[in-house]
Amino acid sequence: MDQPRTDEDQPLVARAQSGDAAAFDELVVKYSPRLYGLVYNMTSNHEDTNDMLQDVFAKAYRAIKGFRGKSSFYTWIHTIAVNMTLNFLKKRGRRYHLSLDDVDASIQNDKEFIELTSTSSPVREADLSELQRRLNEAMMKLSDEHRAVVTMFHIQGMPHAEISKILGVSEGTVRSRLFYANRQLQNYLDEFRKNPVG
Amino acid sequence: MDNFDDNEIGKLLRLKKYEQPPPGYFENFLHEFHRRQRDDLLRQPVWSVLWHRLSDSLFRLNIPSLTSYPAAVAAVLVCAAVVSLKVYQAPPSSDIAMADSASLPVHQSVIDQLSTERVADNFTLSAPLSSRSLGPDLSRQVSESAYTHRASTPPRYVLDRLPVSYEPSFNF
Repeated sequence: MDQPRTDEDQPLVARAQSGDAAAFDELVVKYSPRLYGLVYNMTSNHEDTNDMLQDVFAKAYRAIKGFRGKSSFYTWIHTIAVNMTLNFLKKRGRRYHLSLDDVDASIQNDKEFIELTSTSSPVREADLSELQRRLNEAMMKLSDEHRAVVTMFHIQGMPHAEISKILGVSEGTVRSRLFYANRQLQNYLDEFRKNPVG
Repeated sequence: MDNFDDNEIGKLLRLKKYEQPPPGYFENFLHEFHRRQRDDLLRQPVWSVLWHRLSDSLFRLNIPSLTSYPAAVAAVLVCAAVVSLKVYQAPPSSDIAMADSASLPVHQSVIDQLSTERVADNFTLSAPLSSRSLGPDLSRQVSESAYTHRASTPPRYVLDRLPVSYEPSFNF
């Protein structure tokens, strides 16, 4: 959970609001990797993610003078990214092609990866890369809203309260969507494990 | 075989953070952002660009903060209005005077007062001289001057005295 408790971006935001383009560039550099992960796991496509992220920062640049600081910049920019991506996904419909296959080599050093592949678990019994591919397919079977919640909670590590602010729904709704999405993913992966060819 | 539980699904999902864009992507992202910004700017009409620049400059001047002092701004405006009215309603230069005595009510009252004193002096010949020895002379001069100009010519503007440079330097 690396989101700021207080708005540590306030000095940069104030400079950007007064027309300092370099300050906005710093915000772009700071948030583009994190927002890339968010948008990418919602769209499942690198090209779409690139275009979407450019549009997100362009919109933020145009709107930053209207940013009054009622929420943190972190929440504000994530809200823009999520809303724009959800709108994009609605327009795109179910027409998508997966490109979620660029796993970084540093995954080999990840503690959870080592744990998953070394201990006795359903994951170890299946081929991990195939499992990841199936997981991505399962993610794309979720509705856009459920996938957004799963991405923010499991992949981005956001707390329920932050997700509820970004989506503009109650924390209860966030928990409910998360529970439902987990069940769907679980069913899909269990089915794969029982019928690996499928 | 056990089924997947929430914890293991969570662990699997967290591994997705290693799905990254191609190397060097984020280094080029900012350049691509600047390029798109320039392209957008070129597509905008000129009036829109000018409007944005004007609003930017006003924003930098922090004009809205000035409006938080409406009383001070109003007071300054009222003072400026009063001063400007006073300046434009000031009398003409003292070098110019109107010869018509009717337009000099102060002088007329002085004349009346001095005439009364002169009449009183005439009836008390034994009395000592008034301290206002110049009064009757002044009264006469002003009065005669007024009557003379009123009778002979229409009211006109005269100069109290000519500037030194207007006096002839030689008299033959």
